Amino acid sequence: MIVVITERKLTAPGKFNPASLEAVAAGQQLGKQAGLPVAAVVLEASASGLAGELGKYQLERVLHAVHPALGAYSPEVWVQALVQVLTPLAPKYVLLPHTYQVRDFAPQLATRMGSGLISDVIGFAAAEGEPRFLRPMFQGKFTAETGFAGGGAPGFVTLQIGAFRADQAAAGTAPVAAVAVTPTAPRVEAGEVFQEAKQAVDLTQAPIIVSVGRGIKEPKNLELVRELAQALGAELAASRPICDAGWLPMDRQIGSSGQTVAPKLYLAVGISGAIQHLVGMKGSRTIVAINKDPEAPIFEVADYGIVGNLFEVVPALTAALQAALKAGS
Amino acid sequence: MKIVVCLKQVPAKDAPLKLDAATGWIREDVSFEVNEPDAFALETALKLKEAHGGEVVALTVGPARAAQVLREALAKGADRAVHVEGAEAHKLDAYAVAEAITRALAGESFDLLLTGLQSDDGGYGQTGVIVAELLGAPHATIIMSVEPAGAGRVKVKRELESGNFQFAEMPTPAVLSIQSGISKLRYATLMGIKQAKNKPLAQMKLEDLGVTPGLNRQAIHRLFVPVKAKGTTLIPGTPKEQAAALVEHLRNSAHVI
Amino acid sequence: MAEHPQLEAEVVIVGAGPAGLACALKLARLIDGHNERHPAKAISKENIYLLEKGRALGAHQLSGAVMDPRGLAELEPDFARDPELGAIPVHDDALLVMTAEHAVPSPLTPPPFHNHGNYIVSLNRLAQWLGAKVEAAGINVFTSFAGRELLMDGTRVVGVRTEDKGVGRDGEPKSNFEPGYDLKSPIVVLAEGPRGSLARQLLGRLGLAGANPQIYTLGVKEVWELTAGRFPAGRVYHTLGWPLSNDLYGGGWIYGLENNRISIGLMTALEYRDPATDPHNLFQKFKTHPFMRRLLEGGEMLRYGAKTTAIGGWFSIPPHAGEGWMLLGDTAGFVNSQRLKGIHLAIKSGLLAAEAVYAQLAGRGRIEDYPAKVAASWMKGELWAVRNFHQGFEHGLLAGMAHAALQQATGGRGLHARYPAEAGHERMRTITELGPRPELVPADGKLTFDKVTDVFHSGTRHEEDQPCHLLIADTDICNQRCTFEYGNPCQSFCPAHVYEMVFDDAGAKQIHLNPSNCVHCKTCDIMDPYQIITWVPPEGGGGPSYEGM
Repeated sequence: MIVVITERKLTAPGKFNPASLEAVAAGQQLGKQAGLPVAAVVLEASASGLAGELGKYQLERVLHAVHPALGAYSPEVWVQALVQVLTPLAPKYVLLPHTYQVRDFAPQLATRMGSGLISDVIGFAAAEGEPRFLRPMFQGKFTAETGFAGGGAPGFVTLQIGAFRADQAAAGTAPVAAVAVTPTAPRVEAGEVFQEAKQAVDLTQAPIIVSVGRGIKEPKNLELVRELAQALGAELAASRPICDAGWLPMDRQIGSSGQTVAPKLYLAVGISGAIQHLVGMKGSRTIVAINKDPEAPIFEVADYGIVGNLFEVVPALTAALQAALKAGS
Repeated sequence: MKIVVCLKQVPAKDAPLKLDAATGWIREDVSFEVNEPDAFALETALKLKEAHGGEVVALTVGPARAAQVLREALAKGADRAVHVEGAEAHKLDAYAVAEAITRALAGESFDLLLTGLQSDDGGYGQTGVIVAELLGAPHATIIMSVEPAGAGRVKVKRELESGNFQFAEMPTPAVLSIQSGISKLRYATLMGIKQAKNKPLAQMKLEDLGVTPGLNRQAIHRLFVPVKAKGTTLIPGTPKEQAAALVEHLRNSAHVI
Repeated sequence: MAEHPQLEAEVVIVGAGPAGLACALKLARLIDGHNERHPAKAISKENIYLLEKGRALGAHQLSGAVMDPRGLAELEPDFARDPELGAIPVHDDALLVMTAEHAVPSPLTPPPFHNHGNYIVSLNRLAQWLGAKVEAAGINVFTSFAGRELLMDGTRVVGVRTEDKGVGRDGEPKSNFEPGYDLKSPIVVLAEGPRGSLARQLLGRLGLAGANPQIYTLGVKEVWELTAGRFPAGRVYHTLGWPLSNDLYGGGWIYGLENNRISIGLMTALEYRDPATDPHNLFQKFKTHPFMRRLLEGGEMLRYGAKTTAIGGWFSIPPHAGEGWMLLGDTAGFVNSQRLKGIHLAIKSGLLAAEAVYAQLAGRGRIEDYPAKVAASWMKGELWAVRNFHQGFEHGLLAGMAHAALQQATGGRGLHARYPAEAGHERMRTITELGPRPELVPADGKLTFDKVTDVFHSGTRHEEDQPCHLLIADTDICNQRCTFEYGNPCQSFCPAHVYEMVFDDAGAKQIHLNPSNCVHCKTCDIMDPYQIITWVPPEGGGGPSYEGM
């Protein structure tokens, strides 16, 4: 069996963190490949609609654990509860989305259950009749085909955000089964969650990035690109010359002397694609390049390319996106 | 406060890495440096020592060349260093490394064990949390700040997703993984480098601790350079047509919007 | 800014290349010998500082290189047997004369190109190998520390100031600011390699120079891994001719290394007339020769680098010791310009300098005795015999070869006691005097590369948030005069794409710098026609990472 552990949205407990549905899709994909049934787990302090929502997916069952201690996240509580949920199931694999929260408890959970955790998986492969898990290494320069060793089961896997598509999770019906858990009080006393403007932008967490390069010519033209980023709900980033010139702060720089990112969509606007920039973004799931030079190296890594004048293409794209998203929502 | 800081030596960030067909691993003819996230953990430890007194112990699991990160830590102000040495250290997974760390520290008491968030080479992001489990100690990750909170307790500020934060308190000994970029990294001074030579650097061998790749709970079967499977779709037409076509592709083919 | 912490030192050596390392190792041994014989009058090694601006030993060391063993054999007689150093004896050498289509082995290999008895080495590896011995011998090597300024008291050098660390791009101290140290020392040894920045300060302040101006070449190099069996280890080929025209002095090389790797490169003398000369591009062109193309087919470029070397010869060597200071190796100009070998001379100068330093520490001599030691050693003999070699090529390759033959027959004299010479940058012609611009070879990303891609393969990195280390005295000259007179040759001679002319808001050309790309070759400091560029060391630790180079 494969068990998928879902996660609630941090500040909206009645909703799923969307990565959870990506994990369900991944679980179903792995289940098909390995010929294993897939179950999913919901942990919450009081019953909301979440378990029922999961019940509308093609799963063998939904395991629903309700306990007051499952309100505010705590790694100690989560690990105890999940050990209790998973042990009787004796699953072969446990899948979790690679969220901040999962990174905090999953290694502990895997170790406690005598097993290992293959983290940040971007896809599945198969070899010698067994599933293999592909994960990036050396900041995305290489991919490792990884498997479990040492005989421990279940094998824990965390899935890179955006590597699997939530909309590919197949619908169906799954029975919801209540599971009892009895966690003890944690030693770590956590306070209230509060919002704060982050000092530096963490581009590595952005699902969509619009990146701007020399082609933008002048800082005042950044406005154009900002509007595009807004239309996409994207973070703004830049290649080195833009940050060097002070047009954008250095924490927005992508590349060998900046950040390395792998978002689900990377839009390179007026970026030539020097190798120093490419190493920072070529792991992105979908790359779109807009550049007036058809020979620009960026087109070698782009999935979609527009050879054209960005001062015309970008506003047109912004308008098209605004229309489409308005229509679609 | 006695603080242990775990540091890893990794290939230099911009090193042009190539695969060695013979070994299946990366070629060793690159320069190495301390894993930058771990440098932030060290900085946090040194700041705590400066503010509250105590001792900072730098520890690394790695081959002989990894002693360099310990020397640099000592030059920056760490008091002692421990080198858990093994030529095959790169073959160990996060679990085996955590075992090596835990066994190397057996018999030592400390208040805090700090690590970086993850290593720039393996990128597992697990070693610290696994050490906490092996030690039976409380842990917290993505820590922005640490301060003592009375005898045997610390208070930390954790980063959660989407600009959310949280304070937490816990008893020591505790394991914390430190967020990167929270402060500027200090330089080793000339005096610091000179003094480092006289600070204790203990050596241990991985085999003596019983740590081998046999302890691994995961195995890398193959390392390869990711190749872009599909070609580039060049979108023709006027800007308006190109924009419309791109939105279509992004929505219906790539499914990213 | 904050005060500079003061440290008393006895000896400061700036630069951990072959000269600086040989000096430090020899000095340590002399001191150890002394301390054994005179335990009551022991000399300490605690206050000897060897500063190296690179992040690690060898990081900034680059050369072809085929080394004459003479120097190293005096320091480490068993060097050839140590696999850690990996010196490869030359077993096969040839001079290829190249035209656009052919590469013809010269039937007679002129004596300078005979390399039997010499060794192919990686200078980077040599520095690491010697450096380990220096540290084991008890001398502190401080990597990531640059000598930024000389401390002087009138005409006497009294120490070295290291660079400030943690200064922002705006010149303001950051939260991790550390002021540079004032290392006060009665003995300062400058072993900075070609066009040393402290040496430049020193010679400028004291008004010292050689009889002739110093001349430099720029070597552009790549290490490739080939398909098996293409080029054996220990084979040395040098090339003359294409792609260098008759009035461009220089040549190419191919050296066989272990594990199917080769070192290839092209040296171009920095005294060319055409300001659009682009040594990096000439090297890319060199690789497109049918012979090279066949050789490199199926191979992979592993690493790139570029560095200058001083080849003016004996008459370009300035006074190399004075009150409190000494110049070693390339910094002094100790390079045999005929054979284009300098490592053995650098090492020997380090050994002789160590003797002079030790004598002063033991109260039995002065460092000012060092030049006499050089003059009494085989260094002088060797350099004197080729003293006019390079200058004979002032009027092109053929004339040069005639002069060289004449010099060979007259013990190095040739036609004049001292052939006059011009500084390289003075020979540059303005663009109005020249004809059509040369075609640049485009980069295909497999055989040929653009500068930015090559720089990536040099492992070059700098702290981004720091002041620019290329000081241009007056950028109006760049933007207004140079654009029209020389067409901004910095864009062509810099092998690392540091200099760019970009169009500003008004459509005028403006100089833009990318200092992070700098590979510390010093070409700009040497070749800028107005001499308004001064290269100073950036924050220590920055620069290339020349593994295996």
